[in-house]
Amino acid sequence: MPPAIPPAERLLNLVIALVNTPGRMTKEQVRASVAGYGDARSDEAFERMFERDKDTLRDLGMPVLTVTHAGHGDDIGYRIDTAHWSLPPIELTAAELGVLALAAQVWQDQSLRADSTRALTKLRAVGEAPEAHDLVAGLAPRVRAGGDAFAPLVDAVQNRQAVRFTYHAATTGEVRERRVEPWKLLARRGGWVLLARDRDRDASRSFRLSRIRGPVRPVGGPGGFAPPTVQELAEASRAWMGGDGPDRTALLAVTPQRAGALRARATTVPDNAVLPAGAADVLAGRDLVAVPYRLDWELAEEVVAYGDAVVVLDPPQVRDAVVGMLRVAATLDRLRPPGAAHLAARHDDVEEARGA
Amino acid sequence: MPERASDRLVRMLGMIAYLERHDDVPVEQVAAQFGVTPEQVMADVDTLWVTGTPGYLPDDLIDFDASSYEQGVVRLTEGRGMTRPLRLGPREGVALLAALRSLAALRPALDAQSAAALDSALAKVQAATGDAAAGVPVEVVLQVDATPAVAAAIGTALAGRRRLRLRYVDASDVLSERDVDPVRLVSQDEHSYLLAWSLAADAERKFRVDRIVEATVLADAASEHPVSDDADGFHPDASGELVTVRLAGRARWVAESVPVESTRELPDGAFEVDLRVVQPSWLRHLLLQVAEEVLDVRPPHVAQDTATAARAALEAYAPLLGPTTGEA
Repeated sequence: MPPAIPPAERLLNLVIALVNTPGRMTKEQVRASVAGYGDARSDEAFERMFERDKDTLRDLGMPVLTVTHAGHGDDIGYRIDTAHWSLPPIELTAAELGVLALAAQVWQDQSLRADSTRALTKLRAVGEAPEAHDLVAGLAPRVRAGGDAFAPLVDAVQNRQAVRFTYHAATTGEVRERRVEPWKLLARRGGWVLLARDRDRDASRSFRLSRIRGPVRPVGGPGGFAPPTVQELAEASRAWMGGDGPDRTALLAVTPQRAGALRARATTVPDNAVLPAGAADVLAGRDLVAVPYRLDWELAEEVVAYGDAVVVLDPPQVRDAVVGMLRVAATLDRLRPPGAAHLAARHDDVEEARGA
Repeated sequence: MPERASDRLVRMLGMIAYLERHDDVPVEQVAAQFGVTPEQVMADVDTLWVTGTPGYLPDDLIDFDASSYEQGVVRLTEGRGMTRPLRLGPREGVALLAALRSLAALRPALDAQSAAALDSALAKVQAATGDAAAGVPVEVVLQVDATPAVAAAIGTALAGRRRLRLRYVDASDVLSERDVDPVRLVSQDEHSYLLAWSLAADAERKFRVDRIVEATVLADAASEHPVSDDADGFHPDASGELVTVRLAGRARWVAESVPVESTRELPDGAFEVDLRVVQPSWLRHLLLQVAEEVLDVRPPHVAQDTATAARAALEAYAPLLGPTTGEA
């Protein structure tokens, strides 16, 4: 008995056969003539092998067509559509390939990393020269893995297929099934988040992938919902990504020699800056510092850490958010009854963005 | 882990397309082009040589020039219709495109040539993915919170292997100056840091780039240092004080984004985390952020420290708050 043909070689033989066939090949023809399939020990083993290989080729981007014979409806054959086989005509320089190799390292998630690595392999075929690493030496971009829910959700977003999953809501501790139309996956501030329309609440919601329990299951077929409008998507992601507009500027009163990290980002205080009543008292012994920022709650959380070394003068909503956090924190050393934790209302965005 | 058959298949198809465009390529150069060893290239060529269309007679097979191959040079003589480069699969295009887009955050650390390469690579991959480019389902923002000048200095020092002088504000808000040999800039979705060898400490250190106030590229070349492989991981420091914080469920992100030693679930969705605290200011920062969800802190002096800091800060706000709302 000849040695078994390795899977990569069998797959390559199948691809070459399906590209070169004048019309189409039926399963039986594949089994009888393509090297590697004669190894199958039974009809069932061959069926499984062939179906899996066909899926593999399609996953790799090969246009495997199903061709039925006129007059014989149940007589199915296959061929590869060579008209849709190729990359568009591009060539990549060594520097461009170097950037692509850096991009392929971004994902810590296994499935994304495998996909981007294969994309890189394909593009290396149209590279003029091996990739240049020196331009991007020492850079290590990384995005953490999204867990088991990640790959099925990427597919569901791409195919516009609704899904259901069990979700552990942090706000209430409630664990229940959600049925959602998945819009987009975001990695921001230390975790993966799904933006989606919650079908039961008929509203957009964000879900932390780390709180999805168990499998993600499809509901209905592909193309099962209308994609979100640009505006819907922008609104859903605002708490996470900030608006599209330019950075805003906050005015802070900072104790001398303190908050060097904030000062490093400082810009010139605008001429038209309006200070609130009482600012003069706060600024006695403090410097006026203007700092650009994107999200109110992000700045508030950063500033509150400096205690009395940084006082927010403007905008008022950031100042109020900081004062709210401080008022609660000021009671931390007093005994509080269980369940009385939610004393002050924080900005809604915070909860939204924390994926509560 | 052995290579997956699909990955090897894609590389072998890539090699045929590449060799169709490049005559007489040394095995080593094919290896460099595809990021594998010369031995792997030879194994791939051997496999390609025996594949082809059914029948598998000599004229059916992919073929190479045997005499060149004996000299270690690969020349494709028959591609069996497989010489055009394969398009990207939908998930492949998305994965690479989303990663490329995230690299935009690194732009301040790139020189003009690299930035141009990033732009043109993005444009070409976008063209290669076609329709899929419009609705990329994954979006990542790397947080490179350095000022443009600091990012540029780090990028220059890394690319040119030069020493850096940093003015750095630590978690206790204390500014110091130190010379370091940069190892790598690790940029993540949460925050970014520079892994570097601190010459004063003679040890590897991580510097959050948003706390680097100033970075100056020095004339000295950076030296090689024994940086550990797992230097990028954050590990709880066993020498720190053990602090236990009980939190309401909606502060769940704390357990997910702070290096906790252990987590315990409690009724009503609440939970407890054990933290090893080396820098009290770091913990104070955390507690001020999540104060509203904090149910209990042990030992008690930690809660007192945070509450005292909060009261002092409220005092500072008093002139802005007016008589009715001011309280401390």
